[in-house]
Amino acid sequence: MKEVKVEVIGPEPACVRCQTAKKVVEKAAEKLKQIGLNIKVEKVNIISKEIIGRYGVLVSPAIAIDGVVKVMGRVPSEEEIGKLIKDAAEKGV
Amino acid sequence: MNAGLIKKTRVALLLLFVFVVIGLLIYSRIMAYSLAPTLEPADFSKYAWYEIPFYYLWDYISHAWICLLFAFTAAGLVYEFIPKEVITKYMGSGKVTGYAIGAGLAPFFTVCSCTMVPLFAGILYTGAGIGPAITFLLMAPAANILTILITGEFLSWEIAVVRIVVSLVTAVLAGIIISRTSWGKAIEKEHQISRGTSTAQQKIEIVKPPLDERLISTLKFGGFLAKQILPYFIIGLIVVGYVTAYIPETIVESYLTGVAGVLLASVIGGPLYTPTLVEIVLGRSLLQLGMSRAALLSWLMGQPYDIPNMMAVSRIVRWKVVLNYAFIAWVCSVSFGLLYGLTMGSL
Repeated sequence: MKEVKVEVIGPEPACVRCQTAKKVVEKAAEKLKQIGLNIKVEKVNIISKEIIGRYGVLVSPAIAIDGVVKVMGRVPSEEEIGKLIKDAAEKGV
Repeated sequence: MNAGLIKKTRVALLLLFVFVVIGLLIYSRIMAYSLAPTLEPADFSKYAWYEIPFYYLWDYISHAWICLLFAFTAAGLVYEFIPKEVITKYMGSGKVTGYAIGAGLAPFFTVCSCTMVPLFAGILYTGAGIGPAITFLLMAPAANILTILITGEFLSWEIAVVRIVVSLVTAVLAGIIISRTSWGKAIEKEHQISRGTSTAQQKIEIVKPPLDERLISTLKFGGFLAKQILPYFIIGLIVVGYVTAYIPETIVESYLTGVAGVLLASVIGGPLYTPTLVEIVLGRSLLQLGMSRAALLSWLMGQPYDIPNMMAVSRIVRWKVVLNYAFIAWVCSVSFGLLYGLTMGSL
């Protein structure tokens, strides 16, 4: 099974909304892991050359799935992000 | 009931709420109902010390709730519906676009202060460079939608417009000056990362949720902002209530008018600045107590040297940059204060 990499992109230390975004992503990932998906959630720093070099100027909180920014500047619902992760997993099979 | 119908009902209810809020504002305008508080400093003399916070808070909340509700809803709406990928797409493309977006669009992205420093770093790193980054940093707090709406309603729309214009000039000027200096260029070079803009665009595919979810997150974000700001706002109001009641008019009139008044206001406006709208309330009280309009403008322009922000920025660029942009901003705040006072005849 292919691993889906989910990056929650926000400043360090994380702002309130980035923390919320991370919690939502983790909850969604937990549920999907139970149905057998392989998901890795990571919090990355928005103020780093590596991230800005990869994605450009971002509005925090942003969420990237498998290296593609899908959500920017808002906290998605658990169902929405779950569906996005699931789509990415199915695409990779 | 099927899912489609539930969705439509939700959209309808949420839109209704938004229109009611807008309607309330228009209605209060037509009925000439003051959305700003109505107590005068002199009214306070009849209250005991422990009564002052209650009367002051009541005066504010009873009048200002429509305005605050509208401001937070509007901030949520703008933030949710502005296409955020625009900034990613164009920020790397060059100096002039950089300045234009930094000054004109950026304020709409940054109702929440925690997005400001990351954006500053992003702009600095991706090619638009240090000038637009500083323009953005100075412009964002001065012209965000909450501040403008509250300044317009509580103080006057004239001062709100003047505030936007002078902040714009200050922000662009500071950006251009610093980007021309040798140390400014050195920092820009040190931070710049070379990359093709085309590769970045392939990596961004923003997913747009359906309208009902967007409206819900609009209100959620408005609520989030209110939760962040209102506690400080209320504490601020209590303090300002006492200031209004106990500071004699003679002191304000003698120290916060004339050229010296502008200077003093520009100096105390900075350290006292908190991104919680309190500066507007305090400015209003001081104006009632006799501060000149010129000093009020300098006072309101204090936010560029907002200290927590300076600390955060200094971790990315050196203190030299921070102190210089603060100095330029201060010079501008004094000059524009004096200029405004001279033209309006209120120095």
